[in-house]
Amino acid sequence: MADDLARALARIESAVGDRAEGWDLAGLIPQPLLRELGAEGLLCAQLPQRFGGLGMSSLQNGELTAGTGALCSSLRSVQTSQGMAGWTIARFGLPDQERAWLPGLTSGQLAAVAFSEPGAGSDLSAMSTTVRADGDRLVLDGRKKWITAARYADLLVVFGRYEDGAAAVVVPTDTPGVRIRPIADPLGCRAAGHCDIELDGVRVPAGNLLGGAALPLPLLVTTALSYGRMSVAWGCVGILRACLRAAAGHAARREQFGRPIGEHQLVAGHLADLLVAERTATRICEHASRCWDSGSAEQVVATVLAKQVSAEQAARAAATAVQVLASAGASDGTVVARAYRDAKLMEIIEGSSELCRLLLAEHVLASYGREER
Amino acid sequence: MSTVGSERTVEDTEAVQQEILNFLESRTRTTWEPDTDLFKDGGQSSLFAMELVVHLEKSFDVSIRGADLRLDNFRTVTVMTALVTRLRQAAGSQDG
Repeated sequence: MADDLARALARIESAVGDRAEGWDLAGLIPQPLLRELGAEGLLCAQLPQRFGGLGMSSLQNGELTAGTGALCSSLRSVQTSQGMAGWTIARFGLPDQERAWLPGLTSGQLAAVAFSEPGAGSDLSAMSTTVRADGDRLVLDGRKKWITAARYADLLVVFGRYEDGAAAVVVPTDTPGVRIRPIADPLGCRAAGHCDIELDGVRVPAGNLLGGAALPLPLLVTTALSYGRMSVAWGCVGILRACLRAAAGHAARREQFGRPIGEHQLVAGHLADLLVAERTATRICEHASRCWDSGSAEQVVATVLAKQVSAEQAARAAATAVQVLASAGASDGTVVARAYRDAKLMEIIEGSSELCRLLLAEHVLASYGREER
Repeated sequence: MSTVGSERTVEDTEAVQQEILNFLESRTRTTWEPDTDLFKDGGQSSLFAMELVVHLEKSFDVSIRGADLRLDNFRTVTVMTALVTRLRQAAGSQDG
């Protein structure tokens, strides 16, 4: 399996090559390339082999995600969306539903997951998209906002209100009533295919309701987002590694006052901070992934912690890296400028830093607040 | 996705109940009665329901899907015990 990971990383490196800056500036990754990578199982590598996935552990998939994130956060974002769609179908889908959709996700079909809405960002309980039964069909109506990878997607996993709870429904993007509009000039991950989506009287077979029943919204959202948070956290590790390498290389080569700037103590301090950030995020992600791989219930909290820490470290470190490179890293077309924009988004998506801290505070109160003395 | 099978074998309903009570005690650092509503007093986090699902699946080697994921199935230790017992019996009859 270590060989599989090495091969997967090499394939991603070969696919990205020197094209990440161009994709970022164009706001687009060639869709045929995404389909190729998807068909090789590289966009949802944690799916079991019986569905055509690579059957990677969370830890291996994390390293693959970090490797991708170090090269191109837009591609990593597409990877996160595809993986989250696969995870949601595998987690909530009935066996027939797994067989219906998961092999497609490892054969070149692309997918996105639609949670957030104009009035429901951090507070997904305010979700207003509705799903209702109409004979042997489901009818969806609503608006979704900032849906990563929707520009490329063949399938959407749409979350909405259903009966007395909530539901996740698989919706092909060519279904009448689905309108997908790319978001112009996002701050970061510019080629990740962020879109707003309109769903007007969208009719799909009743069998597209994952699990075949209404589910509690908090459980549905927490579970589906958990994969996304783990993936984003590992993606931040990639950003940190890219920043560390870029800053170290520049600090070793660039001379001022007669010596490399890395030998000036204030710049050297930045390099040490970058290493601490990268190691901290890596270790905390490794711990969370090991919780996933062992089936420990701790995975739920460890994932939020990993996302919170890694995103904040990445945002801070990217700013530090730009500071080290100064004018050499302060324009489009440079790794650290792209990292700076991409890392800021990581503090917002899949649960903002503020929301993650609230979840962690709830956990503290639930775990320690009742402690018997 | 990686799912590690349980190495533990819990033989009867009483043992299932005790295992869940032990988990809750270690997780919340307090003791619980089997019929206490875990969600009613608002003392648990938004993440707690997912923690319970993951723990039950890992500890008792069951898969909780579809309508079984409704919150009422996780509200008390007694109903979780009934859910686990039913799922294990269903899995056993399929294996047999």
